[in-house]
Amino acid sequence: MIRLFTGIAFILISSLSFAASGSIPLKPVLIDLNNKSSLQRGAQIYVNNCLGCHTLKYQRYVKFIDHLSLSKETIENNLIFTTGKNGEPTKIGSLILNSVNPDSAKEAFGVMPPDLTLIARSRGSEWLYTFLTSFYKDETRPLGVNNALYANVGMPHVLSWMEGLKTPVNLEKDQYEYVVKGAMTDKEYKKSITDLVNFLAYVSEPAQLDRYRIGFWVILFLSIFSFIAFLLKIEYWKDVK
Amino acid sequence: MSNKLMAWIDERLPVSNFVKNHLSQYYAPKNFNFFYYFGALAIFIFVLQIVTGIFLTINYKPDAAQAFASVEYIMRDVEWGWLIRYMHSTGASFFFVVIYLHMFRAMLYGSYKNPRELLWLFGMLIFVLLMAEAFMGYLLPWGQMSYWGAQVIISLFGAIPYVGESLALWIRGDFVISDATLNRFFAFHVIALPLLLFALIYLHLAALHTNGSNNPDGIEIKKNKDENGIPRDGIPFHPYYTVKDIFGLSVFLLIFAFVLFFMPELGGYFLEKDNFVPANPLKTPEHIVPVWYFTPFYAILRAIPDKVGGVLAMGAAIFVLFILPWIDRCSVKSIRYRGMSYKVLLTLFVISFFGLGYIGMNPATPVLTWIGRLFTLIYFGFFVALYFTSANEKTKEVPDRVTMHD
Repeated sequence: MIRLFTGIAFILISSLSFAASGSIPLKPVLIDLNNKSSLQRGAQIYVNNCLGCHTLKYQRYVKFIDHLSLSKETIENNLIFTTGKNGEPTKIGSLILNSVNPDSAKEAFGVMPPDLTLIARSRGSEWLYTFLTSFYKDETRPLGVNNALYANVGMPHVLSWMEGLKTPVNLEKDQYEYVVKGAMTDKEYKKSITDLVNFLAYVSEPAQLDRYRIGFWVILFLSIFSFIAFLLKIEYWKDVK
Repeated sequence: MSNKLMAWIDERLPVSNFVKNHLSQYYAPKNFNFFYYFGALAIFIFVLQIVTGIFLTINYKPDAAQAFASVEYIMRDVEWGWLIRYMHSTGASFFFVVIYLHMFRAMLYGSYKNPRELLWLFGMLIFVLLMAEAFMGYLLPWGQMSYWGAQVIISLFGAIPYVGESLALWIRGDFVISDATLNRFFAFHVIALPLLLFALIYLHLAALHTNGSNNPDGIEIKKNKDENGIPRDGIPFHPYYTVKDIFGLSVFLLIFAFVLFFMPELGGYFLEKDNFVPANPLKTPEHIVPVWYFTPFYAILRAIPDKVGGVLAMGAAIFVLFILPWIDRCSVKSIRYRGMSYKVLLTLFVISFFGLGYIGMNPATPVLTWIGRLFTLIYFGFFVALYFTSANEKTKEVPDRVTMHD
């Protein structure tokens, strides 16, 4: 019995420490898919900085009309920069692809940059936010940067033009000082990353925009229906003694 | 008009008689409690899975190069595709919730005992086929966990002496999980197993209606009939239980809809995080974990240090349930009138089942493995102890008539 109790206690403790393991604790990020301007800014950051390497190959541009409240023209003029085989602009109904050559990508980064359509579902929003705010200067790495969450990651700090470059004072405590100034303040950068992660959370499952809204009405209907069904049952069962 | 039409049909097909025999004049015990909703709910989910499954196959592509993308296509580009897909994925997990409760009910009230042993055997066959159905269905999205879960489970067959490796090869149709495996699993998942399940559910119901339902008091209501030959403790299934089951169904749907619309992944238990990464034969995930409903049996597998032994233990854990009607030798059916020994044993059994489920979901640390062994011992110990204690159990007197508690 004592063994069982210590066992159970151990399970609880180990699951706690398990949650905290990994290199650094994950930072919270506020995901708000109703904030259309945040999603729009996130999409803008994505196509300008990420799409060059990372496709969103399950998502179509045309979905941004409804989901991000953007006009067809805005999307065509501001979000679509790729072209087809004959140089014609990519159509709005297309999947969000790029023209990375897998072989040269492997040569440059060691791996093919992964598609990010579902990254917010497989890694989680907090992981993405923490990852994108944890790049630091590290001359020992081939690209001059390292990541506190994902050690020795093959990705360069693409957003350093926004954030600048920081060097760790205390990695575990998330303390840094900037050695190169970026175009944004620390606060502005974190807000931009929040927008970007918000966008990725949306792209990972656009159905979220519908399911919470519809779910509310379904639950309301079923609650009323259950109540009526309950009254019906009581009525029918009156004579069962 | 409708009477004439009915008469015309009845001369050619005994529809009215069927309705009488199985609904309006089919007498069920009047004292069913909470646990008696789950049979009807299981049938509901079976139909739900068939219907949503048909809609999914319209857009799904059973091809290793296209399967993952076709699921995302359903989730994004097919009108209401996400709803159909979540109904199907949530339905799979809820199917097991409902079936486990349905089986637990049988253990509470001795529903597997004479004269319902065949009913129990058909039910167990359904359970095993359902596990196969769920396992094969889980490969279809072609995510990392689909792929590696299938790899681990099929390799278990390789542990069988002499024929194992060729058997695993035969199941996969290839040396690794591949397009060939996906194609055959698709065939089994959408047609072979559902047809078998349908036939077995029919037999399960036919066996049920032969002797009628057991009840929470474990009393045979047909032993006490009135002058018209109607059981004194029975009420017509329709309208009493149809109305009651509509209520049960609506509450079930309320919970189902809550999960479906607000937490379809259920924190990674219903849809695992790693399964949003396309299958990659060259990259093994850090933790390969089966879906929650397999984890109790998976934990038993891992509890045994030897691979062949583990596979045998896992098989035995399922097989022993088949012979439960002959292990339990107590003549009293319901736990209400059974001795303390059964109550204690069943409680320990339930704890071990949950414990094994928890352990199966987590990485095998030495401590968890040892706790897993303890629970495995309790799991099998339940059946051994039951065999020896049930013959001379100190039971209470069973009343002549059923009791109503609400």
